[in-house]
This record gives sequence, structure tokens and C-alpha cells, in this order.
Amino acid sequence: MEITIRYIKTILSIGLTVLVLSACKKDSSNANSVYLPVVEGYLVPGNTISVKLYQQKSLADTSKYGLPLTGVKVYVSDGSQSIQLAETIAGTYMHADQNFLVAGKTYTLQFNYLTYSVSAKTVMPARPVSFTTQYTGLTITTPSTPTTAGITLDKLSWDNPDSVNHVLVFNNLDGSGFPFGNPRGNRQINFQVNTNNASYYNITQNIFSYYGHYKVVLLRVNQEYTDLIKSNTSGSTSQNLANIPTNVVNGYGIFTAMQADTLNFNVF
Amino acid sequence: MKKLLLLLLITGFGYIGVAQQTQKTLDKTNINHFFTCSLDQMLDTLSRNYHLDIVYERDSISKFDIAEHFFNESLTFVLTKVCRDNSLHYWIESDGAIYILQNTDDLARLKQLNALRRTSLGNVKSMIEAPKGPPTHFMFSVTGHVVDHASGEPLPGATIQIRKTTLSASANTDGDFTIFNVPSDTSVVEVSFSGYQHEYVRLNAKNINGTLTIAMFKALNTLNEVTILGKKSGVMNTDTKKVGVLQLSPASLDKLPNMGEKDILRAFQLMPGVGATNESSSGAYVRGGTPDQNLVLFDGFTIYQVDHLYGFFSAFNSNAVKDVQLYKGGFSSEYGGRLSSVTEINGKDGNHNEANFGVDLSLLSVNAFAETPINSNSSLIVAFRRSYQGPLYNQIFKQFNTSTVTGGPGGGPAGRRSPGGGGFGVSTTPASHFYDADIKYNYRVSQNNTLTWSFYNGADKTDNSRTLQLPAFISSGGGLNITDVTQYGNTGSSIKWFSQWTKQLHSNTYITYSSYFNDRIRSTAGSNTDVNGVTTNFQNGTSEKNNLQDVGVKSNWEWQFSNQFKFLFGGYGSLQKINYSYVQNDTSILIDQHNRAFSGGGFAELEIDPTSKLHIQPGVRSTWFQPTGKLYTEPRLSASYVINDNYTLKAATGEFYQFMNEVTREDIVNGSRNFWVLSNNSNIPVSEAKHYMGGISYENNQFLIDVEGYYKTLSGLTQYSIRQTAGGLAAPISIEQNFYTGTGKAKGIEILIQKKLGNYTGWLGYTLADAENKFAVYGNSYYPADQDVTHEFKAINMYHYYRWNFSAVFIFSTGHPYTAPLSTYTITTPDGNTSTSYNVSGKNTLRYPDYHRLDLSATYDLIKINGNKIGSIGLSLFNVYNHTNIWYREFQLQNNAAVTTDVNYLGFTPNLTLSLRWK
Repeated sequence: MEITIRYIKTILSIGLTVLVLSACKKDSSNANSVYLPVVEGYLVPGNTISVKLYQQKSLADTSKYGLPLTGVKVYVSDGSQSIQLAETIAGTYMHADQNFLVAGKTYTLQFNYLTYSVSAKTVMPARPVSFTTQYTGLTITTPSTPTTAGITLDKLSWDNPDSVNHVLVFNNLDGSGFPFGNPRGNRQINFQVNTNNASYYNITQNIFSYYGHYKVVLLRVNQEYTDLIKSNTSGSTSQNLANIPTNVVNGYGIFTAMQADTLNFNVF
Repeated sequence: MKKLLLLLLITGFGYIGVAQQTQKTLDKTNINHFFTCSLDQMLDTLSRNYHLDIVYERDSISKFDIAEHFFNESLTFVLTKVCRDNSLHYWIESDGAIYILQNTDDLARLKQLNALRRTSLGNVKSMIEAPKGPPTHFMFSVTGHVVDHASGEPLPGATIQIRKTTLSASANTDGDFTIFNVPSDTSVVEVSFSGYQHEYVRLNAKNINGTLTIAMFKALNTLNEVTILGKKSGVMNTDTKKVGVLQLSPASLDKLPNMGEKDILRAFQLMPGVGATNESSSGAYVRGGTPDQNLVLFDGFTIYQVDHLYGFFSAFNSNAVKDVQLYKGGFSSEYGGRLSSVTEINGKDGNHNEANFGVDLSLLSVNAFAETPINSNSSLIVAFRRSYQGPLYNQIFKQFNTSTVTGGPGGGPAGRRSPGGGGFGVSTTPASHFYDADIKYNYRVSQNNTLTWSFYNGADKTDNSRTLQLPAFISSGGGLNITDVTQYGNTGSSIKWFSQWTKQLHSNTYITYSSYFNDRIRSTAGSNTDVNGVTTNFQNGTSEKNNLQDVGVKSNWEWQFSNQFKFLFGGYGSLQKINYSYVQNDTSILIDQHNRAFSGGGFAELEIDPTSKLHIQPGVRSTWFQPTGKLYTEPRLSASYVINDNYTLKAATGEFYQFMNEVTREDIVNGSRNFWVLSNNSNIPVSEAKHYMGGISYENNQFLIDVEGYYKTLSGLTQYSIRQTAGGLAAPISIEQNFYTGTGKAKGIEILIQKKLGNYTGWLGYTLADAENKFAVYGNSYYPADQDVTHEFKAINMYHYYRWNFSAVFIFSTGHPYTAPLSTYTITTPDGNTSTSYNVSGKNTLRYPDYHRLDLSATYDLIKINGNKIGSIGLSLFNVYNHTNIWYREFQLQNNAAVTTDVNYLGFTPNLTLSLRWK
């Protein structure tokens, strides 16, 4: 009788172990990931700290952004001091103290949303050095041909002995007022260019679609930002689909620090 | 030498004399006779006068009346004439009897009738000649060569048995066999082979000294036999000794539904364990493996690109193929360099006896071959096929060449249209075709030495070049010449030297060459005239080239030292060179790789048959691979045990290494490109697999039931990703290549139930399988591999009705796994624009809807008056009920929403085939 009971006990304990182990088996599907929040936060010294939180959108949703996440307690810490951001507009959390952002420090974003503890980390890079342009402007000869399109008309340069990441942002201060003869496709008025760790960028005429006064911003950025802009979602197929890299834990989007230097440039 | 030849002639013709004699009588006898009688009376007269054994059914034949005067006509002519006039056929069996048939299916009945008649008359005419005297030799060995009587082509796989003993052998790829310990020189050798009449040879003191040449007569073509065999019929042949072997003879492929071409690789996909739902690849997905893990050997050289037309057709012309074997795993140590399986294709040698040619026409291609003896020692076969751009071709082309990106990218922060794609919205029909050619020359240097030269060349070419007139706002004159040419293909050649050193020892030595190329050139050239009349020329574009060259030597030896022991051994060495270049605007070289690797080694294998029931085959293969500088040793073992006449147990295990991989460069706009890379010491490891397989089969005269299970582990798998990054609109393009390394495992059970005989034949196949991969880039757990299919069911039904063959093939399978976006999210970038991304599901966590389709075909045999099949007319209907099967899904961001487009496989497609043979 005793043997039988021991036998049953053994079977029960084995069964229980199997049950527990199988329950622990990680579910590879991530259907719940649609509830994770989307973060958009850029830390730029001299600018107000601003972090926007969104919901994700369903595939058929045609609105530009997801719904804002309101009423969240959002904290940013520099390692020694933690500040809570204030929600100024629905879903936008800000802090005005501009002395908080210092080169070399690591900043951590932290908040709780639903059951998730969301966080992201970024390091403030140093300011770009010796950002100069060869000419203060350039003249476009229309029409553009495949040959003229590739000729270097101006060179922007900066110091980059360590080959760190830089991105150039071209902002047309005149907006869409002065397009080229017939701007092709959906060319953007403002755009950014990844410089692939170089210390210069050769400007050709085919990057522009509009005449005008441009503000050119050189951003020294972190790897998480170049990872984001290098990824391309458009026109994916089920055979090659992969998530865009993100530095947000339990969330999507970006929380990154960058420093800027600016010069002006004209296109006639 | 002359004596030898004479002996060969005597031995060769000794046994086939009866039928030969009948044919000779028919050809040589001329008659002058005026017949005014019924046909049965006329046949009786011929039979009596010329000592011919003519068999017919008096009831039906007596209805025909003959009123014909023959002036010095041959009997062949007379028979042909009366048969044609009365819609009859005549057929000469190998025993010399002439059968007069109203329908070719009547043969079996008439043969029984004839046997009864002979018995009742006490006139039992034996097929086998009587022994010439008492036995004089005992316990000797016999070697022989089995060929087709009409063409002289060897018949690999023919079963040879010593009557009333358990001694048996199977003819190898050259048609040769050896049997030891034959009890006496009065024994009878019995030879059988699917599609041929049984042949019996009485041994005697003379013929045991030389090589027996056994020429087999074709069975009347309507004989109902299944020609794709998981296992050959017959109890004692080597197939029961092997696990996971499929054999196919292309001659009867026209009885299965086909899509434009009889296709040997597609036919294998109808068997369990070989994936049948990859319309975009002719390559074999065997037991959870991928096509690049399947070694494809054609006459000894490796074929790297097995596809035509985006994978819809295999690169092999079935008219040039003698036989094909697919080893689904656990294969012999003679083969190596692949993880999953081996497909060995042997080309035809060409007709040794008379010239023959044939042509196949379909809505897709024209396929012609010619074969001829050059002299008494050599023969040549040439086969060529080429597609033409008919409606069927265009339909398939369109299906597999969708360029669905029309709205242009945008939305992604680095969205960029690849150069050359699209182009002002002008749609053109590209010129596209494929072709392949086979040449084989066979030269018998001496009785024991044969040289064979085989050559294969095939390619696909798509030319989408066009000229564009530039719109006035861009240019005041001039145009653009856009070149867009994609070409890929193979060239391969081998020289094989077969040598029979002694009765027990023979060797096959090969010098092989194989090359593969896959090029795409896109460029735009033109001139531009500005307002001042100054013209400038410009040219830009991209060129992507991948080519592979493989030169090798190998020598395989087979030494049979007794009925119990056979020793196989050999050595091999090869040099592989792979170049891959990706050049933009002639100047900017994005990828330029030149890799070469030498590998070499040897193998040894022992086939042990301690009893007639047990077969054990241990082997080892060792390869030194130069880039890693290491020696890779692969132990192999397979075994089988015959429980009784019906049941056989079998098992196999082994270790397998692969030193090169086919990877895919994904390109959504312009189509993905496949290319081969060599393993190295850094980012592409040598991959390894371990197989464990076992099975049991049951066979009786009517049915074969085969159940096999397998488990495989894989490591060192490589996946490739290439990301072309342009940081913005016109930043210099850079390429980021990533090779990911992972592991995999596959397991499954296959069940085959086959009906082998009768008017209705066919089989049911079911596979329950699981294939998983683990790549760190997708997470830490196993996910379903792209080719993973849980349930796969196939029903192949063939019904034979007189000269008609009908078939219905139904395929059902679980949908393939895929990855899809679950939701999207948008953020603003510092330049003020927005960036929208997908939140992507776990790797391959979703499944497409189940795949299923029904194919039907009807084939009508064209038969000459003398019963020889000279061709067929076939109608095939593919995907009869037009089920939508999904190939893959595309996701596009439009107006902030993600739009899903299904790219589907072929819908309902009919096809007509006409096949003609001169002889």
C-alpha cells in the first residue's frame, strides 16, 4: 500500500513539474506588444526637454499620430537627480530647466504604463566642432539631368576624429514658396541626411527641390538615432519584416540625446 | 579480341533469340498470296506455313474478312496492313508469340488464354532453354550487364535473381551487377525491371566466363505499373535495404499532370517528405531542409541553380534523363557537402543501336532530342528545349515577376527608390526566355572501359530594356536608354571513366566542372541637349554579379569481395571560386568579394549482409576544408532487417557538413537575388547536421505501406541580410552586410500507402512535420522555419482506360508561417518630418491559410500498329477549382495606414502537351 502511495506521489510530482515547466515556456508570440507605449523624446541642450507619449495605431488607422497618453508620471534622471516632467499639452511632457542637460551624462527616462515599467537610456554627446561651409550658397542650373545631379557644388565639413555619428538637417526657411520647375514626387521641403560617420558632406543639386534660405543643422547623434533612420519600413514583405530598432524598454520609438550647430545656406 | 566480341554476341543474343527470330521471320519472309477469307483463317494459314505462334481471340477476329492480294510483300507489311485496315494492333512478346489485339489492354487476358491453350495442348513452350548437360562448375561468380533491347541503354535498378535461391543483386547506374556463389552452371538468371518483360537466362559452362549481356524487351506500354516507387516491387532488391530513397524513371512522367513541362523535380514533390507547396521553387524542401541543403548531381557534377522561370520549372530536361534518385536523408558516405538530401540524376547514354529523335510541344516550350550510335562503340544524345513567350509563359512570368511598388516609397525616414526601378510610369513587357541543352557522348574504349562526356548548359534571360523619350520639362531633346537585363544559369560538364578492373572491382572516375552565374545589369544612358544646343552624354546604373566555379576530381571504387561484403571507397578534391560584385555607376563598388576554397578528402563504406535478411552499412567520410584548415569527419550508418516477405525494418543515422550556402539579398523593388557564399573562419560557419531516421515497410503484390520517422539537428546555419543605406536623399550609398548564425531542428513522420497494380494505381502520402530555427537576431527561442509545414497530405490517383490515362492529384498542406505587422506608430524626427514604423509580430508566429489545389490530366497514347508507343497527347488542368494560395504578403504604408497585398500563386491554368517519338 505504501509503495502504491509513494508511486502515486512520484507520478504527481513529476506531472506537476512538467506542468510548471510547460507553463514557464515563453510564449513566442507577442500579441500583447500592441499595447506598449510609443516614446518620442529628443534631449538637445538649449531646448526645453520634451517627451511625447502615444498609443500605437491599428493597421487601418489613417490618422498621422497615435492617441496621446495622458496622465502618466514621467521621470528623467541624470544619475544623481531625477525630475518629473509636467504634462503641458495632452501627451506631451516637458521640463524647462535648460541646465539639466550636460554633455557626457547618461539620462534615463522612466514611467509606468498599464502593467509595464517603461524605460530608456541615452548619453549626451559633445557639441559638434568647426562646422563650416565652403560657400554660403549655390546656384541651381535647371533642368537637372542625371549628370548634373551628381556634381558636388559645395562641401560642408566639421571635426570628426573619432568617426562618431552626425546627421545634417536642412530646414528651408521659405517653406514651399519657391519650388524648382517641377518638383518630382513627394520631395520634402525639410530633410535630413546621414553622413555615415564622415567629417564632411558634399552637396549636390539633386537633394534640393526648393529654392530658398536654408538653415543647416549639424547634429551629433547617438547610435540609437542612426539605427532608427537607417531602417526602412516602406514596402516590406512578410519575407523580410523585422522590428525597427528601438532603445525603449517595454515600448517603441526613441529617447535620445543630441547636440547641434547651425549655419545658413542659400539656394538660388 | 574478335573472339571476345563473338562470344559477347553469342551470349548477348542467345537469350533474346526467340522474339528476335519472330521479328526476323516477319521481315525476311515474303509472301505471294491471295486471301479471301476471314482474318482468323488467314492468321491460321500464316501460323501454319511459317511456324509462327500467333495468338488472337477467334470470336472477335473471325468477324473481319480479308480480300487482299499480296505480291511479294514481307510478312511485317502484311500484318501491319491487315491490322491497320481493321483497327487492330499486333505485339511480339519476348517469348516470340505474336498477339493480335483489338485493344492494347487485352494483352494480359490473351497471354493467360495462350498459356491455357498451350497447357491443354500439352505444348508448354518454356521461355527458358533446357540445360545443355549436367553441371560442371560450382560456386562461381557471375557478372553481367542489363540493357534495353531496342536502345542498348543500361537499365539501372533492374533486379537480378538466381532462380530458386535467395541470391540476388540490383544493377548499378551503369547497368552492371555481380552475384557470388552461384550454385551451378545450370542455374537460371531471372531479370525483372519495371516497364520491361521478364527475361530468363540459362547459365552454361561458356557464358559464365564472360560478362552476361541481358537485353530486355519493353512491356506493352499500357502495362499498369506505378513508376514512381518509394520502394521497388520485388522482395529482394537493394531498395528494402535503404531508408528514405525515392526513385523515378522519367519515361512515364506524362501520366501525371504537368504544367507545361514534364518535370522530374516536381514529380518528387508528390511523395511524402518532400514539400509540395513551393511553387516558386523547383528545389527540394526535404524533411524540413531547404533547397540549398539538397545536393543536386547531374552525371557527377553539381548543379547550383535548379530552377527555370522563377522556380516554376526545374532545370532538367526529362528527355535527357535516364533515372533519378532522391535520398531523403541518412545517405551514404559516398555523398557529402550538404545537410539534408541528395538528388542524383543520371543522363541517358544515347541509343546504341539505331538513331531516334523526338519532339515535345506544349503551350510553354518546345523540347527536342536526337540520339544516335556513332559507331559500334559509341553513341551520342543531344537534347534542347527553349521556352517561347506564349500566353502560358506570360501568365507564369507575371505571377512570379510582380513589381508591385507603384506609388513609390516614402514614409520611412530613409525611403528611397532604387535607381532604375519604375521610370515615369511606363509599363513594358520584358522579353524573357529560358533554355537548356544536354549533350552526352558515350564511348566504349574496350569491354571493360567506358568514357562518357556529359555537358549541360541552361540559362534564363529577362531583358526589360527600353527607350524613354524624356518629357519636355526635363529635357529639350534626347532620350534615355534603360538597360535592364537579368541572366542566370549553369554550365556543367564531366568526363567519366568507368573501368571494370576485375569481376569484383570497378571504378568510376570523374573530372567535373560546374559554373553558375546570376547577373543583373541596370543602367540608364542617354544624352541631354540644353537650351544652348549643347549636348551632354551620361550613363549611370548598377551591376550585380555573382558567379561560382567549381572544378573537381573524384574517384569512386566498388569492390565486391563476396555476397556478404562490398567495400566502397573513394577520394575527391575540388576547388570552388565565388565572386560577388555590386557596382554602382561603374565607379562606386559596394561589394566586391572574391573567395576561393579548396576541399578534399575520402570516404569508405562497407555493405555487410551477414544473412539474407540483415543489411548493415557503416561508412565514414572525411573532408579537409581549406578556409578553416580543419578536417571534418562524418560517420554514417544505415541498416535494414527483413522480418518476412512482407515486412522490412530500416534505420539510418549520420553526421553531415556543408561548406557553402545560398543566401538571399532581399530587394523589394527589383526582386530578391540569390547567391552562393563559402563558409569561412569568421562570419559564415561550416554548418552541421545530425540525422536519426527509422522506418518500417509492408509490401504485398498489390500494396506498399511505408512509414518513416526522422529527427534532425542543425547548427551553424546562416542567414543573410543586406541593408542598402542612403542616409538621406543623395548621401553616398553604403552597404551593410549581416550574416546571422543560428541552429535548427526538424522532426516528422511520413506515411505512404501505394497501390501498385491494376487499372487504378496511385498513392496517398501524409507527413506530420515540424521544422524550427533559432537565430539570436529573432530572439532566444525556436521559431517555425520559413519552410515549416505541419500537415501535408497528397493523393495521387491514376486511372488507366485503354489508351487513356487519367490522373488527379490533390495536395493539401498547412499554410507556411510568416511575419506581419501588428500595428504602426509614428514619431516626428528633428527635421520636422514624420517616421512611421511597424510593430512586427514575433518571427513566423502567423500562418497563411491552408494551401490546397487539385490538378487533373488526361493523356492519350499514340501507338503504332506494332504496339510501340510513339507519343502522347495530354491535357493538364492546374489548380482546377482556382483556389487562392498565398505566396507572400506585402505591406505598404499609404495615407498613414498599412495596406496589405497578397501575392498569390498560380490560379487555374490549363495546358496542352504533344509528345512525339520517331521510334
